[in-house]
Amino acid sequence: MAASLCIGGVVLSGPVTRLGCIVLSRPGTRAIQTSAVCLKNRAARVRVGKGDRPVTYEHALRPHDIGHRKGWLSQHTSNLCGEEGAADRVVEDVFVRRFIFGTFHGCLANELIIKRRGNLLLICALMLQKLPPQKFYFLVGYTEALLSHFYKCPVKMEVQTLEQPVVYKYL
Amino acid sequence: MAASTMCTVVSSLSRNNCHVGVIQMLNPIYRGAAYSSALSLNNGVQNKVSLRGGGQRTLGRRPKRESGEPRTEKMSVDQDWTSVYPTAAPFRHSAVPLPVRMGYPVKRGVPPEKKGNLELIKIPNFLHLTPAAIKKHCAALKEFCTQWPGALDSHAKCEEHFPIRVKTTEYVSAGLSVRNPKARVVTLSVKLSSLNLDDHARKKLLKLVGERYSKNTDTLTFTADRCPLRKQNYDYAMYLLTVVYHESWKTEAWEQQKTVADMEEYHWENSPSQKNVLDTLLRMKGQGEASAADREELLKSSAIQDYRDSITRLKNEGDNESTLQQYRESVKKLFNL
Repeated sequence: MAASLCIGGVVLSGPVTRLGCIVLSRPGTRAIQTSAVCLKNRAARVRVGKGDRPVTYEHALRPHDIGHRKGWLSQHTSNLCGEEGAADRVVEDVFVRRFIFGTFHGCLANELIIKRRGNLLLICALMLQKLPPQKFYFLVGYTEALLSHFYKCPVKMEVQTLEQPVVYKYL
Repeated sequence: MAASTMCTVVSSLSRNNCHVGVIQMLNPIYRGAAYSSALSLNNGVQNKVSLRGGGQRTLGRRPKRESGEPRTEKMSVDQDWTSVYPTAAPFRHSAVPLPVRMGYPVKRGVPPEKKGNLELIKIPNFLHLTPAAIKKHCAALKEFCTQWPGALDSHAKCEEHFPIRVKTTEYVSAGLSVRNPKARVVTLSVKLSSLNLDDHARKKLLKLVGERYSKNTDTLTFTADRCPLRKQNYDYAMYLLTVVYHESWKTEAWEQQKTVADMEEYHWENSPSQKNVLDTLLRMKGQGEASAADREELLKSSAIQDYRDSITRLKNEGDNESTLQQYRESVKKLFNL
């Protein structure tokens, strides 16, 4: 960042740099950006580390593998050609993911999968066995009731539990 | 239960001053009460832990419930699969007895197994639509079905009795609303051969309808989408058909002014071709001005008839091998070559 702006041979320092450049710098001079590290893509990528961090299949594969080695977490017809409502479905998905993440805090083994069958919203979740079954059932019922009332459509949860999260790789 | 709540209140109020004796006195029934002396009592959290049911975290907690064996172990080979997956459901690794693996393998490894495999849950599965399940569906639906009428056993008969075909489309999508504006389009198609039209009516109808008629299939198609509801569009399409049919049978006064340029096909009678050929033949015979009777005679001769047929065919069908051949023959016959 510091090396990125050098106008007219005068390096302005501190907070003046951003505000004062336009006013004080001489026009007609250019510089190159020398910091290349900023350009690395960081979206949904777990960086390689010492080799002691267990990582699931979902996190190990990068976003460019979606459609090649990974499937889609959320499927609905709005993404087909000529169909409407894609934006609404996306907003619903985001809300549902945050809601479940908070409701079943610490219990989610992997990402949620959201399927839609017509009106029905089906949430498939892989959970860890951190809570006793009674609490799980209560939270599932609570989620279904609240989301159904909120979205005015039937919401169903399919929960499968594991003892430990499934490890694909150690990064 | 009352004892435990009282104890928590006591411990929270006198957090720093709590001593062993109080706790032991109030909770004689708790197992491991003797261990409470080893805990640091200044820590309120640990107090609460010791006072709740089930002993301490550090030493011998209540055993966690073991998860039972998966259902696949108890499945027999000849079980009824339709009861395992009666409706569409995501993949459950403990309920599907197949050793499926899915995913990209790690280096020098195999695809991950089905337990906890998110990829298998992501994809849609058809485990609820095995042949046995479909048989059951058909058996259940059969009582709501009626027989196809026996008299309509061929396509021709269907066309004869039901000449008008109406096409509408239903749209199903995943979302909160059932409505789709594309569902209001109605397409009505009918073959002109099934309509009662004479020559004039047919020509007038074709002129009225224009682009909507397809010559290859002899089908007239009306697509109605200007109304918001399907029923309205259907009524409008039927109305169009009725109006066009009745209008084509009427003859208006201005239709008398139909010129040669408006004609759909070529008529040889009273055309320049007829005039030219007659003049040429008469000049060949040496008669300058011939009477109408002579012309009539000439017209009736077979050579002239052939020439008329060939010219009509050429003009109507265009240039191809057979028409040109026919024209050649007729001209040769006309001039006695």
